Amino acid sequence: MNVLSGKISSVTPSGELSLVKIDCAGVMISAIVIDTPDTAPYLKADRTIKLLFKETEVIIGKGHEHQISLQNRLDGEITHIQQGELLSKVTIAARPGPVTSIITTNAVRQLGLAAGTEASALIKTNEIMLAE
Amino acid sequence: MIKARLRKQLWSTEGEMDLNVELSIEKGTFVTLYGPSGAGKTSILRMLAGLLPPDSGKIEVEGQTWFDSGQKTSLAPQKRKLGFLFQDYALFPNMTVRQNLEFALSKGQKSTIIEELLEVMQLTAMADRKPELLSGGQKQRVALARALVPQPGVLLLDEPLSALDGDMRSRLQGFILEAHQRFHLTTILVSHDVGEILKLSDHMLTLFEGKIIKSGKPAEIFSNHEVSGKFQFTGEILDITQQDFIFVISVLIGRNLIKVVADESDTRNLNIGDKVLVASKAFNPIIQKL
Repeated sequence: MNVLSGKISSVTPSGELSLVKIDCAGVMISAIVIDTPDTAPYLKADRTIKLLFKETEVIIGKGHEHQISLQNRLDGEITHIQQGELLSKVTIAARPGPVTSIITTNAVRQLGLAAGTEASALIKTNEIMLAE
Repeated sequence: MIKARLRKQLWSTEGEMDLNVELSIEKGTFVTLYGPSGAGKTSILRMLAGLLPPDSGKIEVEGQTWFDSGQKTSLAPQKRKLGFLFQDYALFPNMTVRQNLEFALSKGQKSTIIEELLEVMQLTAMADRKPELLSGGQKQRVALARALVPQPGVLLLDEPLSALDGDMRSRLQGFILEAHQRFHLTTILVSHDVGEILKLSDHMLTLFEGKIIKSGKPAEIFSNHEVSGKFQFTGEILDITQQDFIFVISVLIGRNLIKVVADESDTRNLNIGDKVLVASKAFNPIIQKL
């Protein structure tokens, strides 16, 4: 599980859902949760919060220029890759901290990823859990 | 509403212990007492039932004083409107199921309650059998029905299902919940089974060495940290296998075995038998009608 720490910059509730924007060491990350400031009192600006997301939900983009709908982007250099037969674990040194992704070994080969490659870790807004 | 202040010097295997608790239980709630053996859970039930006198304190149920050390009053156990169910069924072996229930009727009480209970507990078909011909689960249903004959407002359950196996246990939990709701009972359960506590109780009190150390909703107490994921369960690890750097963790949740893929960093502190929280975002699961 990836755990990053950040500070809530805004909360936009709508019905049962809220879009929460979090400042993680200068990188803006948004998360959508089934909670509102009424049901979860910690959902307010300036609160320090943890962001949790699974390695298997992190998409890797090679380089930094991607035309893609994903808003949550953590850029950095790949520090190491652990290759298994089917899956590989890729670790990126992002500004808020190391982010790990598990993708197929085929994808690692196709993209030609290696330690030292510049890459982006991309996470869908609905894959991020928040914890106090 | 049950309001109780109980103090009692107890001797456990660990030595002397000062039980000192204050309870305030709303009518109609299902409360579980949880904690290690010797924490005082059973003693609390016995004091409420009038089977063990507190050294000092007060017990008030629906405005009626059951015990008050200051006034030196103590209502006799048979006058306290409560049902008590233990792990062993204590049925009369020489009486049929129906006779076992009838024995619990108070003077002048209408016997219509017997038929209702036989039906609710699905015992009508075996009403004329003796207990020895019944399974453990059936015997416990008879014992539950018998405890409800006097139409008590309060039901005390002291690990009533711990002698039963998984399937039977789960069915009995259903019967207990049905009785709790149908007869508008205030129920206090002593249990160690996390699944059972989560399924049955509205509120939970954790006891340690005679004191209440936690009070809250079971799901909140059993989850170590508050996570926003709405797809949350607690369970027990049955197996951990490793495939390259990926771990597959098998978790028993209620009666369902599920598997979770986890990274090495998540698995480091986990062992078989550990109680764990399994959480996911509500966006991920699919749902299908069966």
